[in-house]
Formats: sequence, C-alpha cells, structure tokens
Amino acid sequence: MKRLILIGTVLLGLLASACGSSGSTTLYKEVIPPVLVDGALPRFDEPVTLKVMTHDSFAVSQSVLDEFQAATNVKVELLPSGDAAAMTNAAILTVGNPVADVIFGFDENLLGSVLENKLLTPYLPQRLDGVDSLFRLDATGSATPIDHGDVCVNFDRASFVKSGVAVPSDFDGLASPSVKNQFVVEDPSVSTPGLAFMLATIAQFGGGDDTSANAKWLTYWKALKANGVSVVDGWETAYYGSFSGGSGKGNRPLVVSYASSPPAEVEDTSLAVEQTPTGVIASTCYRQTEFAGILRGSKNQKAAAAFIEFMLGNSFQSDVPAQMYVYPVVSATPLPETFAKYTAPVSNPLTLPYSYVSANRDRWISQWSALFR
Amino acid sequence: MVSSVPLSRARRNDAQRHRRFRWRSITALPPLVFLGVFFVWPVVAILLRGLRPNGIWNLAVFGEVLADPTMQRVMWFTLWEAVASTVLCVLVALPGAAMFARFRFKGKGFLWSALLVPFVLPTVVVAVSMLGIIGDGGVTGVNLSGTVWAILIAHVFFNYAVVVRTVGATWSTIDPRLEESARVLGAPSWRVFVDITWPLIRSSVAAASSIVFLFSFTSFGIVLILGGIRHRTLEVEIYDQTAKFLHLDIAAVLAVLQLVIVVAILVWFGRSQRRRAVIFEQRSASEIEHPPETRAQRGFIIANLVFMSLLFGVPLLVLVVRSFSTPDGWGFGFYRALTDTRGGSTSFVPPIDAIGNSLLFATMATVIAVVLGLCAAWTIAGGGAASSDSPLGRWTDTALMIPLGTSAVTVGFGFLIVFDEPPLNLRSSLWLIPIAHAIVALPFVVRLLVPALRSIDPRLREAASTLGASPSRVWWTVDVPIVGRALAAAAGFAFAVSLGEFGATAFLVRPDRPTMPIAIYRALGRPGEYNFGQAMAMSTLLMVLTVIVILAIDRFRPAGVSEF
Repeated sequence: MKRLILIGTVLLGLLASACGSSGSTTLYKEVIPPVLVDGALPRFDEPVTLKVMTHDSFAVSQSVLDEFQAATNVKVELLPSGDAAAMTNAAILTVGNPVADVIFGFDENLLGSVLENKLLTPYLPQRLDGVDSLFRLDATGSATPIDHGDVCVNFDRASFVKSGVAVPSDFDGLASPSVKNQFVVEDPSVSTPGLAFMLATIAQFGGGDDTSANAKWLTYWKALKANGVSVVDGWETAYYGSFSGGSGKGNRPLVVSYASSPPAEVEDTSLAVEQTPTGVIASTCYRQTEFAGILRGSKNQKAAAAFIEFMLGNSFQSDVPAQMYVYPVVSATPLPETFAKYTAPVSNPLTLPYSYVSANRDRWISQWSALFR
Repeated sequence: MVSSVPLSRARRNDAQRHRRFRWRSITALPPLVFLGVFFVWPVVAILLRGLRPNGIWNLAVFGEVLADPTMQRVMWFTLWEAVASTVLCVLVALPGAAMFARFRFKGKGFLWSALLVPFVLPTVVVAVSMLGIIGDGGVTGVNLSGTVWAILIAHVFFNYAVVVRTVGATWSTIDPRLEESARVLGAPSWRVFVDITWPLIRSSVAAASSIVFLFSFTSFGIVLILGGIRHRTLEVEIYDQTAKFLHLDIAAVLAVLQLVIVVAILVWFGRSQRRRAVIFEQRSASEIEHPPETRAQRGFIIANLVFMSLLFGVPLLVLVVRSFSTPDGWGFGFYRALTDTRGGSTSFVPPIDAIGNSLLFATMATVIAVVLGLCAAWTIAGGGAASSDSPLGRWTDTALMIPLGTSAVTVGFGFLIVFDEPPLNLRSSLWLIPIAHAIVALPFVVRLLVPALRSIDPRLREAASTLGASPSRVWWTVDVPIVGRALAAAAGFAFAVSLGEFGATAFLVRPDRPTMPIAIYRALGRPGEYNFGQAMAMSTLLMVLTVIVILAIDRFRPAGVSEF
C-alpha cells in the first residue's frame, strides 16, 4: 500500500512538473509535509544534530542558534564549504549522500545547477507568505529565499570632493575620461561580485544572445578597458588593495562592492548620510538573492524543514543585516539603525532570469575573458 | 678526530645487508599507507569521476584539453614561472645560507627563527601588503602588479626560508678546514666554492629546490592577486574547473598533467640528489661559526642583512604598522577589538581560541609528520646500509613529495567522495586538519632528515652493529643524536607549515575551531577599518607566535655531533 502511495506521489510529481509553468523538469520522489504546528516550530523529544552547509561568508549570532535549539531540541552544526560556487559544486558531487542536511547561500546564478542536479528535497515553507514574490524564483518550492543584497559600484567621497570631479551617476559615467584609471572591478570568472557586475552590464546594455565579440555589453567593456579599468582577482584585493575609500588602502576611488558596504565604513553614527566615507552608485546595482534548501538524502528532513522555517522567522531575519551585510527577504523585518540610516534601499536593481544566466554564463565569461586576457 | 673525506665505501656483510633491507621495507610502510589512504585514494577517486563517468572511459577529453591554445599557454606559463622562481630563489638564498653557516653575529638565532615568518603568513595578507609597495600607487612608485616580476618576488619572499634553512643546516656541518686547506693550497674563493663546498651542499640544494619548484608550480593565491588576470597557473585552472564549473573531466586531465610533470621533475631532482650525495664527517655548528674577521666578511653579512630587510622587512613592516594605525590614531585598538565579542557571531571566535586551535593542530600535525617522516627518511637514506640507492627508497621519496605538487581542491573534493561511509566517515571530522597538514609537512621533514642520515659515516653504525646493537638500537644511539639538529629543523618546519596552512584547512575547518589564518581571512572578507585592522593585528600575532615557537624549537636542538 505504502509503495502504491509512493508511486502515486511520483506520478503526481511528474504531472505537476510537466505542467509547471516554469518548465522545470525536476522530478522528486519525496515531498516533506509542513512542520509548523499552529505557526510554532516543532519540538523533538530526542536531541537532533542538524548539519548546515554554508559558504564562507555565512554568519549568525550564536544566541539566535541557541534560541532555535531551545525551541526545537535541534543543535545546528555549521560546515563552511568555500565560496558559494565551491559549496554548491561540493554538494553536487555528493548528491544523494550529502555532507549536511541543509545547504545555505547559493544565489540565483547557481540556482539553475542546483535544480538541474536535483540537489534538494522540495519543502514549501509555511512562512514564505511574508516574502515578496520577487524573490520566490523557484516554482518547485525546494529553494527557499533567505536574504538578498545588491552588488553596486562604491565610490570614495573624499577623493571626488578633493578632485572636484562629479561622481559618476551611471554606467556611462564610469567609462568617461574624467574617471580614467580610477575604477577597479573583480574578475567575473573567479569572483561572485565580479560576476554580478558583468551580469549587470548585460542586463543594462543587452546583447546577451550575441555570441560575437561585438555584443553590446562587450562594447561597454571595451570602453571601460580603454578608460583604464583595473581587473583584479577578488573582492579583498579590489576593496582593500585597490580602492581608496574608507578602509581601502589603494588609490582608485571606484570599486565594485555591495550596497551594504558604506555602513561598514561608518565608525561615528552621528555622521550625516551625505558625509559617509563611501557611497553607492545606485543605478549600477544588481540583485543577488541567497537561497537555502534541504539536501536530498538528508536523514533529518523534519529538523531541516524546521530550520528552513526558522530562517524565515523574525529572529534569524533580523539578525541577517548585521551579521552578513545583506537584507532580510521578509519585508516586514526591522533593520538595524546603521543599516536603516546609511543604506538607501535600492529600488530598481538590475536582474536577469536565473535560467537565462545558467544557460549562458560560461559563454559570457569566455567572451569577457577573450577581451581581457 | 681525524677527518677523511670522502670515505671509501665500507665493506658489507651480505647477511647484514639483507636484514637491513627487510627492516627498511617495514619502516616504509607507515608513511606509505598513510599517504595511500589520505592522498592516493581520494585523488584517484576524483580523477576517475572525471575520466570514467558512469563506468565508461572518456579519454577523448585529453586530446581536447591538450589541443586548446588557452590551456597550452597555462601549462607553458606554469612551467617556466616555476623554473624561474626556483632558480631566482636559490641564487638569492645561497649567500644567506652561507652567512648562517659560517658566521656568528648578534641576533643570529632570532633571525634564523624569524626567517620562517613569511612562510606561515596567509598569501592574501602578504599580497595586500606588497600591493602597497610595488602595486598600483604603491610607496615605491614602481607598479609591478600584474607582471611576472611581482609573482617572482612573492615566490622568493615565501620560499627564501626553505632554501636558507635546508641548505644552511647542511652547510653549517661542513668542516671549514676542508675549505681552508684548499685555500692554503692556493685555490681562489670561487674555486673553493665550486670544488669543495658545492659538492657537499648540492644534495641539500637539490632537496630545497624541488620543494621551491613544487610550491611555485602549484602557486595559487599569489598568481591570482599579484599576477593579475592574464597570468594563470595549472593550479588556478584546476581550481576553477573543479570548484567553479565542476568540469571534472577537464580538471582531471589537468590534474594528471600536473602529476606527470611533478613526478618527472621529482625523479630528475632525486637522481641528481642521489648521484651527488657525498658522505662527510659532520661538525657541530658551534665549532664552525666564527665572528666576521675581515672587512669583506663584514660586508658580506651586511649585504645579506640589507637584502633580507628589503625583501621581508618592508612588507612585514607595512603589515605591522597598519595593525597599529587605527582611525583614532596609533594604538592597540585593533588588538583590543580582537577580544570584542561582536554580538556573539558564529563567524567570530576570540583570537585566543584561534591561537589555541592553531597550536593544537600544529602540534598534532608535527607529531604525525615527524614520526612518519623519520620512518620514511630511514628507508630513503638506505636504512643504515652504505649503499643508499634502493628502488624502494627512491619511490618513497618521490611519493611523499607528490602531494606538494597536487592541487588542494583535487584532494579536498576527493575527500568528499571517498570518506563518506563508515568506518572512514571523516568528511566532517576535525582529524582531517592535522592529517592534511602532516601530508604537506612530510616532505619537509624527509628532505631535512635524509641528507643528514646519508652523511652519517656508515662505519659508526657498523661499529655499533659489530658490538651487538640491534638495528633499532643502532638507529637510536647513532643516527638520532647525529640527525638531532636536522630533526629540530624538521619539526620547526612541520609546525610552521601547519600554522600557515590555508588551502586544505579552509575545506575542512569548523566555524567554532578556526585556525589563525582562517580567522584572518574571515576578518578580511568584510569591509570596514576594524575588520581590516583586526586582520592585520591577527597577522602580527601569527608572526609573533611563529617566532616564539620556532625559537623554542631551534633552542631545543640536541648537543649534536660535537660529542663524539
């Protein structure tokens, strides 16, 4: 009888995915039932240890994890596994016999390969209601959005005040002769913010389907190159090694960083917003959403589902900005003071559909590399 | 004490030789089994995943990768960059080794220990410091970033100590009377070096060179940060193909290629090392070193010190200065911030804990590496037989070096797919950290011990044997006291390797048990004066800790050979 039900579920799953408007072909053999009891987290009689695989930048307050353990009797063990891409690929390599129960921190650029490789067991969180539909990219419900950030060009205020040059206000401004040799970006083939900025140029200028060296977005990069843009390996080198603003030790006043970087440069919170050491060029921002999911083969599915719900709960969501310099996906979550004061919400960030990115990313990177290597 | 160099080959007793051979086969076992389980197995598994997906060999990918002009460029660059780095490093480090071997001067002990500091510092920290000197807008006004020169300078920076300490340890045991006799007989200085000194040190030069070569050949962080985007090594390419794109087939081809080149180079080095090994009587360093006497000697020392302070002093000074330069002026603000709990974040562990973790892992790794290294070195050096040339020894030597020439990501991803079931379900075990560190440290231990073991007069062993000592007793009473100094140097290196290891640790570490390099990277991964300052402060602490530990180990060297 049980087997019949299972077969029935599989067939239903097949049907559902075949009819799904997203056109996703993912086929799952199991679905986890909702775990919240009257909106509250379930409590386990026996202590459970839940392993959560994260990228290296993951951080959460210990008190928040303790709160989860107190409520559910589930202890969370974190396994940092490299940057988001390395973590996702490590999970793909061990699909079906995962290292952890939950994976946190893959973004929309990795979402395609996560779904394609059937990494996750679907779970549709009950607390997803508070999340703007903008972030709910995965129609199968297996990848749950947790936080979002924006990759934007940051500028060194003091440097522009000193030189009297106007701060560029958009992409074209970055290629203008007034900021020659002043812009540093990260290599999109190795760096996550670097990739986001390259995608931003594709979203802005178009030409993503053009396989030639004359694609519109590449023409923009040619202009940047002619204007002396510096390309470095990663965020640390760009921000600390080349950027002149805030804590940067270099001499270039324009850098690809995050919308949330300027508050980190504010030591004195009485400072007016117009006086922060660094600022953001809002029209260059590209949206990044980070997801979590339950790894297929996890032996602790119910506890894993409880943790996913917890991550959408108020304590975790309001902990996210100060710990990871990103924004909570639950829009009602209050922001910490420095965040609320010093980051202007990016109203119209650039985006690209994740399926478009996963289908073309490697080609775009080689087109870009052909220009710069 | 009469020196007779080189010694004639001692007569051998066949039965005795046979027994020794068995003995040394047994000592080869522990290191080889260790390597087999924690290196060969995971690497072969990940290579097969790429080359034989779903049980069908996919060898066509070899042709595709080898024919790809981008890949050809990567291979060629990796090879010549590594050769150039090695040659340059040996050239500039030999005078340093000579200075340490021959002269007594103020602060020598401290300097000898402090040399290992660059070796343990995280690449990104050093690279950011160097960018402040030779980068775009650096204080020298010379912008080398993105050029091969930046890569070469950084490779010398990181590997100088390998050559100076390996060669210096051997050089300091050469009886200076040999050189004096030649001089008395009218040989000019260069002749003395070429005819007398070089044959005695070249085995250790070869040993050090092969390590420098492997480090430069598998260079990752330096190439990425200082080499700009045009320069890519095989290591970088393998990392990207594995961790970024999961193109395991392409990664496997590149990894096989890396292995082939590494083994070829190692066999070549091994051959020159063996052929040139000369047995000589060791003298204790204290008998040999003397204060500089002539003006030329003083000049030689000063030139060396000036070079070292330019190469190391300036970048390290930049780092230390930055650790004290807070937004509120000079002070200990960043150091105090290290103990700040920052809201009890999981990504934050008090630095005292990071120091504790680093010391714990390093101690475990050193013990594993020294024990296994002694076993291996004993086998390689010939297990007490006068003839040190055995196939088993040769292969053990080469095998232990291979991990240095293998990409960390290949091993790391290999771990994920082989240690996934009991009894070796180690994927999330903390034990993998000291084990991984020991694998990296083993070749250093072996390289330092083998020349010392080889240089022991076999007649000492035979005398002990004849007097009825068992092989283990011969080893304990003859070999160990003589190799004591090399052993201390080896332990120091192993400890330093573990303190500074990042690549493998990053894959294996738990958030609540970060090592110091991991804590530094965590701080540097976030914007803000305090995060940057804390990274600099932690780096400074790592430097201080390294010097203290290495000083202690260097002090604890046994009395040495002067007792005979």
